Amino acid sequence: MARLFLRLIVRPLTADKVRSVLMALAVTLGVAVVVAIDLASDAAAGSFRASMESLTGNSEIEVTATGGIDEALYVKLATLPVALQWTPRLEGYAEVAATRAVVPLIGLDLTQPPPDLKKVDQASSSTDLLADPRSIWASRGLGWKPEQTVRLTINDRTAEYTVRGVFDARDQVIAMDIGAAQQAMGKPARLDRIEASLPRSAPDPAAWIARLRAEVPAGVEVRSRGLAQEQNKKMLTGFRWNLRALSYISLVVGGFLIYNAIAVSVVRRRAEIGIIRALGMTRGQVLTLFLGEAALFGLVGGALGLALGRVMAEGAVKMLGATVEALYVSSRPGEIAFDAAIVAKAFAIGLAASLLAALAPAREASQVAPVEAMARGHRQHQARLHLGRRFAFGLAAVALALFAYRQDAIDGQPVFGYASVFLAVAANAWFMPAAVVAISRLLDGAALRLLGIEGHLAARSLWASVDRTAVLASALATAIAMFVAVGLMVGSFRETVATWMEGQLQADLYLRAAAGGGAGRYPTVSADVPEAIRGIDGVEAIDRFRVYEINYNNKPALLGGGDTSVVRISRRTSFMPGQDRDAILCKMAKGGDHCIVSEPFANKHNVRAGDLLRVPLGGKTATFEVLGIYFDYSSERGYIITDRTTLMRYLPDPAISSLAIYLRPGADAEAVRRRIETATAGRSLAIFSNRSLREEALRIFDRTFAITWALEAVAILVAVLGVAGALLALVIDRRREMALLRFLGAAARQVSRLILCEAALLGLMANAAGLALGYAMSFVLIYVINKQSFGWTMNFHWPVTLLLTALLLIYVATILAALYPARIAARLNPIEVIHEE
Amino acid sequence: MTAPALRFDGVAKYYESEGTRVAALDGITLDFAAGRFVALVGRSGCGKSTLLNLAGAMDLPSAGEVWIGGQAASRLSDGQLTALRRHRIGFVFQFFQLMPTLPVVENVELPALLAGLPGAREKALEKLRWVELESLAGRYPHQLSGGQAQRVAIARALVNSPSLLLADEPIGNLDTATGTVVLELLRRAAREQGALVVMATHSHESTQYCDRVVRLRDGHVESAG
Repeated sequence: MARLFLRLIVRPLTADKVRSVLMALAVTLGVAVVVAIDLASDAAAGSFRASMESLTGNSEIEVTATGGIDEALYVKLATLPVALQWTPRLEGYAEVAATRAVVPLIGLDLTQPPPDLKKVDQASSSTDLLADPRSIWASRGLGWKPEQTVRLTINDRTAEYTVRGVFDARDQVIAMDIGAAQQAMGKPARLDRIEASLPRSAPDPAAWIARLRAEVPAGVEVRSRGLAQEQNKKMLTGFRWNLRALSYISLVVGGFLIYNAIAVSVVRRRAEIGIIRALGMTRGQVLTLFLGEAALFGLVGGALGLALGRVMAEGAVKMLGATVEALYVSSRPGEIAFDAAIVAKAFAIGLAASLLAALAPAREASQVAPVEAMARGHRQHQARLHLGRRFAFGLAAVALALFAYRQDAIDGQPVFGYASVFLAVAANAWFMPAAVVAISRLLDGAALRLLGIEGHLAARSLWASVDRTAVLASALATAIAMFVAVGLMVGSFRETVATWMEGQLQADLYLRAAAGGGAGRYPTVSADVPEAIRGIDGVEAIDRFRVYEINYNNKPALLGGGDTSVVRISRRTSFMPGQDRDAILCKMAKGGDHCIVSEPFANKHNVRAGDLLRVPLGGKTATFEVLGIYFDYSSERGYIITDRTTLMRYLPDPAISSLAIYLRPGADAEAVRRRIETATAGRSLAIFSNRSLREEALRIFDRTFAITWALEAVAILVAVLGVAGALLALVIDRRREMALLRFLGAAARQVSRLILCEAALLGLMANAAGLALGYAMSFVLIYVINKQSFGWTMNFHWPVTLLLTALLLIYVATILAALYPARIAARLNPIEVIHEE
Repeated sequence: MTAPALRFDGVAKYYESEGTRVAALDGITLDFAAGRFVALVGRSGCGKSTLLNLAGAMDLPSAGEVWIGGQAASRLSDGQLTALRRHRIGFVFQFFQLMPTLPVVENVELPALLAGLPGAREKALEKLRWVELESLAGRYPHQLSGGQAQRVAIARALVNSPSLLLADEPIGNLDTATGTVVLELLRRAAREQGALVVMATHSHESTQYCDRVVRLRDGHVESAG
């Protein structure tokens, strides 16, 4: 059998090198993308640790509260007659002035440092140095030397700090003594977390948590230390699911092409199969031979895809890391874990995709009877007869896709949404043969008129080889459809965000602390800054906004407080249909226990207007009545917004996260900006104009979707490569026809044009089908997958220029892919070919 | 005196095989007049097909000259050779060589369309009528018998009204009765259409339908009839 495999399968593949390489490349790219995304998303999120998880020691329990904990609670807990070891922590970020890198800054009791900090290069435990508010200890990862002076921006203040010691940690992190940190971060007598290590004699965290809950005031949470990390991971699940689903598109496209390659191989060797069957080969052996051919593509594609995927993962992890950082939580990507599991996965998906795709043609090969091999053209005739049945399958798939479209998420994941997309792709593949026949017929006359006899022959050839054409068109159409669908989704999202920003960002200037912000980082500006700005000439009103990360129903969320009366007059915040914006904001401005929530929050927590939210805040649990749900695209986690006075009642820290400044009509924004800079001299603040803030927001938006476009591009590349390979196979199979045409008076360039016409018509069919399928799929992406994963409502928008340009490029690429096969066709020696028989 | 429809003037054709030169044809000088049905006979490898390829402007001689309708083939450009094939030459093959993707009528009109001639469909139907297969115009090649396929191939070869019809073993794949029908058609093509029909054949019986028999042996003319 091995010898037969070598002779009947491997030898023809080596003889047909270019085509074999193209097919292997299609599987390689498919596998590589899956491997790269798998590795990268694991690195960016799977081995995800929020950057604040540095220097946590061996503690198992943590005590936290929104807005921090009073130091007095630490004193109370530390004096409890229990065998727990307590570590207080203060957490924030410092921006290194020289590099603009944002580094976690952790305040710890350095008189009792955690184990990591004990291995210090130059241990300086002198109490004087600890108490010095300019003393810092740096991790080795920062590359600083003991006694080096470093300029850091913490919140809105920049100052020189001295490195007193370097501790052994690869992460980039700065440590300060807690007292100094409280001063530097502007959090006097506050702590962010208190950690507890359990005694070996009583290591059950649950029992300790239950006991400690009785000791802390309402609004203070006692939980397992890993819980926040788990919640963060969970928050990333939707993002990772969608990315993974997208990464499999290339593999699906590759699958179509393997199907085509094996089907071509079977059609081409029908006579051979007939002969070997007549010589005694069983159906099972024939099946094994052709599945073996697919397995060969799968193995080669798996091995090469693994290597390429590892390389691609480096780039992908940077893109994903930036997205996670921008949208979710301040984190650092972990190492790319290249282990046995990913090796096994690469081979498994390469083999599975190839074998699955090859099953139908291989089965058909096994059913070839020796006499059947003699009648060329018979199979295509049969295929035409099955059009009705395939069309019926397509209709069934559409019905199922519509059913799946209407189903709810399972455990927050849009499983039915993915099923709906998959069914739409399948439906498209089943409709394709009928579409090929219909379009070929429709275009036949036009092709003859516009492209001449070559166009006519191309249309006829595509129609006559309906099976092959349909598979190729399906592969290309699937890639195009995903491109169109994602293009429509991203375009709609972008347009929706831009429109939303139009209403939301009405202020003339925006101000925040210069220390780098980002997801999970909310540096604060001292409370005296807004007061100084309020009196500046040209300033009409200011909206002070403070945001806190909170934990609501075991999911991370955001709590914000702003000057509602200013918002009511100045912004065009839009609410869900039927909700009276003015009435809601008027009521909220009065400072009662009222709130509004953003759409993603409402969707995630199933909240409606009129509901009561119990939110643990400071030392209390607040109960807010939800007055309305507003549209917001700034955070997937979702916002609860109260009036600033309400927030201050629970969390009396007057520092702000950002400031929106409204100018008097006719005021010169640049002049006012200079006045603000003068008034706040000595503070490290970032001031943005309305326009630059919008541009920055859209820049982050575009960067977020860069990986999506990269995945789409690979899927299209796979499809185009596949088309090139398939057209090459077509030339080889139909060389007799090409030679005959030369005998009948065709010039070499006419034969070449015939192949280009076939590519042009194929591209046209794929573009038309891809556009239609993509349009349908975009509804699933926008209204099901996005809605169930992220909770955002988008307004449908056609990014016409982008789509048309991309489709045109794909079309041109398809035709360019046919240049080499066309050249081969034109160079065939007609005498040799015609006398082969 | 009119020029011969086809003329071989000291023609030789050599091939390289494993470093040595092999003569497929050597010193061939032959004249063929229009309206004649000529048989080229000889064993396999005697040079019949090579001679047909040269006559059909599909190949060029290594030495000597092939004159087709008064034009020296080796002096023509690739484009002129293509034009010559389109307008002056028709081919019939042993294995019919119909395009499987096209129905009968489209197979027949194909050379006219490739040549960009007007009224291709009418001409195709006319030729199908001539070979008495008009009723099968809509069928596909796989739906035809061998004899029918070869008659379609003859109709196709004649659609541009060529002055030269070249047939390479046209009955080699047919039974005797069907072969007879095909030979009759080729003879009629010479008589009624005035074309020079040159047929390469193994079959001595088929030569009785021809006006002239040229015998080839090892690349040389054994007898010119």
